Amino acid sequence: MKKVSVETLKPGVKLAKPVINDSGMIIIGEGTVLSDVHIERLHNMSINTVFIEGTAGPAKSKDELLAELDARFKKTGEEPYMPILKRILREQIEGMSV
Amino acid sequence: MDIRDLRSQIEKIDTLPTIPGVLRKLLAVIERPKVSISEIGGFISNDPVLTSRVLKVVNSPIYGFPGRISSLNQALILLGLNVVRGMLLGVSVFEAMQKTMIGLWEHSLGCAIASRIIAKRKGVKEPEEVSVAALLHDIGKVVLGLKFPEEYRQIMTDAENEGNFIFESEKKILNINHADAGGWIAKKWNFPMNLVEPIEYHHKPHLSRMVPMQTAIVHFADILTRAKGFGFAGDYFVPAVHPSVWQLLDLSEDDLKEIVSEFEDALGQAGDFMFSDE
Repeated sequence: MKKVSVETLKPGVKLAKPVINDSGMIIIGEGTVLSDVHIERLHNMSINTVFIEGTAGPAKSKDELLAELDARFKKTGEEPYMPILKRILREQIEGMSV
Repeated sequence: MDIRDLRSQIEKIDTLPTIPGVLRKLLAVIERPKVSISEIGGFISNDPVLTSRVLKVVNSPIYGFPGRISSLNQALILLGLNVVRGMLLGVSVFEAMQKTMIGLWEHSLGCAIASRIIAKRKGVKEPEEVSVAALLHDIGKVVLGLKFPEEYRQIMTDAENEGNFIFESEKKILNINHADAGGWIAKKWNFPMNLVEPIEYHHKPHLSRMVPMQTAIVHFADILTRAKGFGFAGDYFVPAVHPSVWQLLDLSEDDLKEIVSEFEDALGQAGDFMFSDE
């Protein structure tokens, strides 16, 4: 599942989560294949993003992946053994063919 | 709330009106200590969605069986009663997982895959049982999310805003964490100890008495899955490896490199494993 802006929605994509309005009402149910009419309604109701099925968008660069790795290890990167694990993961990212 | 009150409330989870119908029916079957594999088979085959999910899980990188398993009976025989009971619970809480925490299913799946890889390397006799324990290790998050939806949203916001681990925010707001809740419910459901202990002690692996190796594997698989950034378990940080686990697993740096690389390959195949084509 991925979160996408309503601006970029095309008819035919399938909702991975229901669209819910401010008062908690389900506007369009989970699993609905969106039509032009649905997308128009989302625009009119000023809903900005929805969750649709499919895997993550464009691949990330190695630098982004390494920065994310650093962020994940922020709390425990200095604890015993953690530097070894982090180094192995860093080497794996660096060795990836992108 | 007093811990005993919390425990008894959580143990009554199957009476919640919000619990999915299939899960309620399933619990009535799997809670019975003497349920047979043919009764479970009958239950699954009455439900086409469940049957298709079971076959998907059996053929997923969680187990890594060579070739395709296309019949339910074959799957039941291959996996055995304990694994099937646990796996059924896993696939039945899939929706609840997605609802509680987007990404928790992927996190659980990642842990199950990593556990299988490590268990095989350590020569554990029933690697599938370790995988299923890993698939369910965060069941307590689902239970807390179902039982205390408002508090759980607050917990997730707190973890995000304060930069806490999710279990720290759980403890702060509910006075227990998901491992406590998971352990209680797994015992209530008559799960065997090789499932209960990894669920209950995946953050305190040194306390596991009956199955320390299995618990250590799930603890480490959880960390590895977070370190890879696969899925979402409620916070963005990698917890530290418990020193007892490092000693018990006794993996060399080369072992670790091979595990990480095998894990990467398996995750690549797992990418679209989301029950999306139902």
